[in-house]
Amino acid sequence: MTILHNPALATPEKQQISLGFLPLLDCAPLVIAKEKGFFSEQGLDVGLSREGSWASIRDKVILGLLDGAQMLAGIPLASSLGLGSPKVPMVTAFNIGLNGNAITLSNPVLEEISTLTDQPMHSAEGLALLIQQRQESNAPKLTMASVYPYSAHNYLLRYWLSAAGIDPDNDLNLTVLPPTQMAQAMKKGQIDGYCAGEPWNLIAREMGVGSAVISGYEIWNNCPDKVFAVTRSWHDAHPASHQALLCALIQAAAWLDQPQHHEEALDLLLKPEYLGPALSILPREQLSLRTTCFFRYAASYPWRSHALWFLYQMQQSGQLNQQIDLKQVACQVYRPDIYREVAHAMRFPHPAIDCKPEGFHSQEWVLQGSGGAVTMGSDLFFNGATFDPNVC
Amino acid sequence: MNAAPHIQERVLVIDKDAARSALLEQALNDQGYEVVCRLDDTEGLINRVEQIKPDIIIIELDSPDRDVLEHMATLNTHIPRPVVMFAETGDSNTIEQAIQAGVSAYVVDGMSPDRIQSIMDVAAARFREFQALRNELDNVRNELEDHKQLDQAKRLIMKHQNCGEEQAYQAMRKMAMDQGKPMTQIAKNIISVLQMLD
Repeated sequence: MTILHNPALATPEKQQISLGFLPLLDCAPLVIAKEKGFFSEQGLDVGLSREGSWASIRDKVILGLLDGAQMLAGIPLASSLGLGSPKVPMVTAFNIGLNGNAITLSNPVLEEISTLTDQPMHSAEGLALLIQQRQESNAPKLTMASVYPYSAHNYLLRYWLSAAGIDPDNDLNLTVLPPTQMAQAMKKGQIDGYCAGEPWNLIAREMGVGSAVISGYEIWNNCPDKVFAVTRSWHDAHPASHQALLCALIQAAAWLDQPQHHEEALDLLLKPEYLGPALSILPREQLSLRTTCFFRYAASYPWRSHALWFLYQMQQSGQLNQQIDLKQVACQVYRPDIYREVAHAMRFPHPAIDCKPEGFHSQEWVLQGSGGAVTMGSDLFFNGATFDPNVC
Repeated sequence: MNAAPHIQERVLVIDKDAARSALLEQALNDQGYEVVCRLDDTEGLINRVEQIKPDIIIIELDSPDRDVLEHMATLNTHIPRPVVMFAETGDSNTIEQAIQAGVSAYVVDGMSPDRIQSIMDVAAARFREFQALRNELDNVRNELEDHKQLDQAKRLIMKHQNCGEEQAYQAMRKMAMDQGKPMTQIAKNIISVLQMLD
């Protein structure tokens, strides 16, 4: 295990901090940092505010009613660009975990596909055949859902569909639903598939309405999903508070990375003020923190290449029509430089570069970082594609 | 003072609390606005919004369905967009107050900032009023519950100490003073201890 040094950071400008989260398993670093005392060790008195939607989190951070929050990785980028929100620049210096999503298809769709092809279901090629057949017989379009327009879920779903030649905008209806409603909507025949985080894919199987065909990990090994973000003006006014928050979150991520802590972590997460009510419908043994990678493989590092991949998907999906310098946006919003300052003070090995090419490593590899070597995870795309941040 | 608006904005209220949305509808009607629909169940929300074609949607801030409306707002310009986008041109104080009261809204382009502000103010006031009512109700319920527990603790003492009502009550008061704890807390402790002995 990585030994983290408790650094002497500057005194936080603001000690009373309010952070927002959604009741999902990957809010764990925020909850653990509070419950295990990592925030208070940094001289912070942090209150966690459970929110009902990503829209609510964005509004409250923009208006200053929250100091910072767990966010889908696309939100600070979209907000900085003024997409679907007022143009409020945000910054993130902490990635909340890798992986954790999956795509589920309904049983009727899976059955129909199996009559058309014996191709493995993890490719959308069978789905493409079904869509073609439905178009020929003038059957209504299939509908698939993700959790938010500016989400990794949306981009992974579109990526998976596009790789099989499906036009996500014309060949089917793409919509948004809260993850808690996905399986129920599938049962009622309102949606034919969806991309969501766990445990919402397990639930479809549990209810007997559908099955996961491919995990987010399989689509893109160790793909990013959510971040911790603040507005740029908040960061500028409270740089030491931001550093203190990051230090506590990094400690929480490293703590969560150890499987022997998972039971305790679930006990804390299931307290009524966090995930208790949202996840009470599921038996506890179905909940697992193993699908998300919190610290190893530099999981909490805010790679600018990840920002570029998201921005590129925003362009591909027509969300971002302006001709802009994507790299400049990625540099303004994703701040590995701030992460490195904290990591340096905490004396653990961390990446020294801002970007990495994706799709080139089929297994663990070693990156020469600051303070020592960093073991990195695989980063393949399921279709064998590569993403070079220097080209886009 | 409350002159009828020149154009009737079509208001859609989405709130799983039907009592609160009824209160809000009444208040908006009084101000001359037309609430075209109240939804307490959001199944098939996208189709409903497309059919109803509201100019403004009032929705509980914490509703998970807001993310569905966020998606709709990205689809086409005639669909209501999040009210926080109007914070730059309108009165951001109004929006902040509304959010603190637990209200959010989605508004079509072209609606005047005055009208947005007026509707948001009405909604925020009604949400706050409803919250105050609910708090009051909770307080009454808690008081009733405390009363029940005091009574139960007293009866348990009477049974175990074989004493009268006044004596039992005085014993509890003394414990409360000695331990510096409220009577309700003492009652709870007595119940949990003496019930084990029963």
